[in-house]
Amino acid sequence: MILDATTIPSGSVLNADICIVGAGAAGITLALALMDSGLDVVLLESGGPEVEKDTQALYQGTVPDARMHSEPDRYRERRMGGSTTIWGGRCMPLDPIDFEPRAYIAHSGWPIGLDDLMPYYPRANHLCEAGDYAYTAETAFHHPIRPMIEGFHGTAFTTNSLERFSAPTDFGRRYAERLRHGPVRVIQHANLCRLDNGTDGAVADSGKMGGGNATVGPAHVRTLSGSAFTLRARAYVLATGGLETARLLLASPGASGRGLGNGNDVVGRYYMCHIAGTIGTVDLSRAASVWHGYEVSDEGVYCRRRLALTPEAQRRLQAGNFIARLHHPRIPDPGHGSSVLSALYLARPIVPYEYAKRLYGDTPGTLGLWFKHLGNVVKGMPQAVAFMWHMLTQRKLADRKFPSIIVHPRNRRYSLDFHAEQEPNVDSRVMLGTDTDALGVPRVHVDWRYTTRDVDTIQVALAELARELRASGVGSFEYDPAMVEMEMTRYGAYGGHHIGTARMGRDPRDSVVDTDCRVHEASNLFVAGAAVFPTSGQANPTLTIVALALRLAGHLRQVYAPGATGTGFRVQGLAATSHPAQGNSAQSDTAMETT
Amino acid sequence: MKQKILVLGGNGYVGRRVIAALAASDWAEPVAGVRRPSAASAQARQIVLDATDAAAVARALDETDAVVNCVAGAPEAMAGGARALSAALERRAGNSPRVVHFSSMAVYGPVRGAVTESQAMATGMEGYAGAKVETELALAGRDAVVTLRPGCIYGPDSPQWSLRIASLLRAHRIGDLGAAGDGCSNLVYIDDVVAAVLAGLRAPAHVTASGPVYNLAMAQAPDWNRYFLEYARVLGAVPLRRIGARRLKVETHLLAPALKIAEIGLRRVGMRVPPPIPPSLLRLWRQDIRLVSTRAENELGLSWTPLAQGLAASVPGARA
Repeated sequence: MILDATTIPSGSVLNADICIVGAGAAGITLALALMDSGLDVVLLESGGPEVEKDTQALYQGTVPDARMHSEPDRYRERRMGGSTTIWGGRCMPLDPIDFEPRAYIAHSGWPIGLDDLMPYYPRANHLCEAGDYAYTAETAFHHPIRPMIEGFHGTAFTTNSLERFSAPTDFGRRYAERLRHGPVRVIQHANLCRLDNGTDGAVADSGKMGGGNATVGPAHVRTLSGSAFTLRARAYVLATGGLETARLLLASPGASGRGLGNGNDVVGRYYMCHIAGTIGTVDLSRAASVWHGYEVSDEGVYCRRRLALTPEAQRRLQAGNFIARLHHPRIPDPGHGSSVLSALYLARPIVPYEYAKRLYGDTPGTLGLWFKHLGNVVKGMPQAVAFMWHMLTQRKLADRKFPSIIVHPRNRRYSLDFHAEQEPNVDSRVMLGTDTDALGVPRVHVDWRYTTRDVDTIQVALAELARELRASGVGSFEYDPAMVEMEMTRYGAYGGHHIGTARMGRDPRDSVVDTDCRVHEASNLFVAGAAVFPTSGQANPTLTIVALALRLAGHLRQVYAPGATGTGFRVQGLAATSHPAQGNSAQSDTAMETT
Repeated sequence: MKQKILVLGGNGYVGRRVIAALAASDWAEPVAGVRRPSAASAQARQIVLDATDAAAVARALDETDAVVNCVAGAPEAMAGGARALSAALERRAGNSPRVVHFSSMAVYGPVRGAVTESQAMATGMEGYAGAKVETELALAGRDAVVTLRPGCIYGPDSPQWSLRIASLLRAHRIGDLGAAGDGCSNLVYIDDVVAAVLAGLRAPAHVTASGPVYNLAMAQAPDWNRYFLEYARVLGAVPLRRIGARRLKVETHLLAPALKIAEIGLRRVGMRVPPPIPPSLLRLWRQDIRLVSTRAENELGLSWTPLAQGLAASVPGARA
């Protein structure tokens, strides 16, 4: 059912078994996966179904340099569905190497492996509406598909791994009906402001960090209309995204008084986004054929191949995980001869700033440039019109959106779009700022940093790609190595990927949560989301966020569900009368699993 | 000696299949109760009768050892048929033949979640669902009546859940429906339905004495989206299209009434129109009701045809 916090009388005390905070990809997945568990679950969401300015303003914070990291209220949405309301939908799992400790990547290695996530990825894929869990061209397509670059035979780079695109699915809208009819109490306009230390007598034990016997709760919840209530749950899950999770932990006292889970000063540190950029010119005019666009799978899902650096090459080159895509040529240069790109260039004045960023070159536009672009448009009018029609019908009006602009340049000259792992760095961090928001919670301060290893990853990967393209005789890749650092930071940290701020590990001295995503310091506090990733891999995080949430749901069932023989404590009188779940659990479990 | 089994509605999709299965057995001799004689059920002797006429049904009953009631069609025909059957059984009180009666999951109405046979039937429903409730009420309390509540019966030539769906998939009018296809399909393969009928006819008297009711849906039935995908794959109607809410509104609000009118007009001249998607169909595809059919597994010894196998046999026009 979906409720509104403003209808809950101020001063009320609510009880539940599980309190999930944040109705985004992770929180909604958890709620769906726990619907038939017999557990009494509350899902707190700060926003409502639509954008609300004052709610979104609670996300405001500070950054040292807005060119290096976007303002904290950008690329994340405080409402039902969370940031899945604006995501691009790119799905892919992490690679096996991402879980390994690698000597050349500081602080690398997960305490779990890909095998621990594999049981959950297919269901996660289904929830993301990315079709079957098939991430190579061979497994996703039962018929041969046109080669990406005909004649390219790399050893360091493969071209058969896929990225699959979600609709992109807004989890809030997509699963609204299930939530409305289900037993989970979704409470909108409910802002978690603080989690108290538990008063169950085990606090004395909390001096030993990682003892894990101390509990947290109750949760203090406020609305922007001024009311406040308390929620007592047996367990709490923070599913508020990488920035807000760190903020909420740091804004709660914790046993140490330095922030919840922060006895060892790890919360908010090791903050990663991804390293991304567009560089150089890939000239494939000598390849027999090139296809850098999308293929559509049986399920109707857009799939795209990319150039992926193999794990062997990563180890040999001592590089982080790296992938690259053939991208349309630089828009400001009319030499591409593309009417579509020239039309986009000419449309700059009516394109919103965030999207127009890439439409401006390094040099100011001149009248001559303008005429050249106009010439392209006039010469290629039919293509420009066809492109606009395609974007209107297949993207703007479509329920499964064509994911991006794909232009096939006649001269087969592309730019290279890369996306790479960022090395965990203790000094890249999310902290509390000096200011507070409308509810009195300290604002977030995001100090994102990268390391020389990150620059090296891009440098060696690009050099290796240039070598392989040349060696296979399909063309060349020209770029200026001196420009690499500039290009990878041109638009700052990759927007929307907020990773590592409550990292998973076995040692409480350099991690915040354990392998069950439970905060070391507290026996009943869990984190869902990319905050727990110890490393970022090259993959966009959402699919793994959903898979980890499904895994966490399994753990919560095991520990807290009626009849479970887990270690979850039950304080007498605290747990509300448990809701009989809709129907029989063995049956309804399959409702989520009909993949 | 073989048992004589009267199959009311013997011309229908299920009726024809039941007759074929009985004719192939070594213990039964089917008798088709039909409204109009038909060459399709040539496998059995036909009795032409109006199934809503209690006297006619009683006469037919006199010659037979058991009855399978699969009268389908208009709500009045189904309800009237059940009332006539009930009245005919009344006359045979004390010596009632075994009856296997087809009801439907529709009797549960708009409920959600896992549903066992103990779930009360919904009240106040009209049309098909209301008529099915009436049929069950009409036969309630009669001796030796086995009631089947199948979900959506699919299989070769199933008009509702195979032929119609195939036609819609091939026209890309349905596909990946998003939240509109989240409901459980409660599919049951035609052969499993027929197996349930035969098991119901042969079940020992102590099982049927209490007038048992059985849900019939395959275990782990897929949701509708999954069904459409798997069926489209078999049909070669891929890639699936994402059909959004806007498009579905056009289907139910504009196209469905137009197609319905066209169908009525063109049927006389022998023309066929594409199937409509009425609002009721969309409601079903959204409804997360899951039939629990373990009772049929346990008492009738049923097992379910795997979806892949059922779909492979359900490609229109591809069978020999």
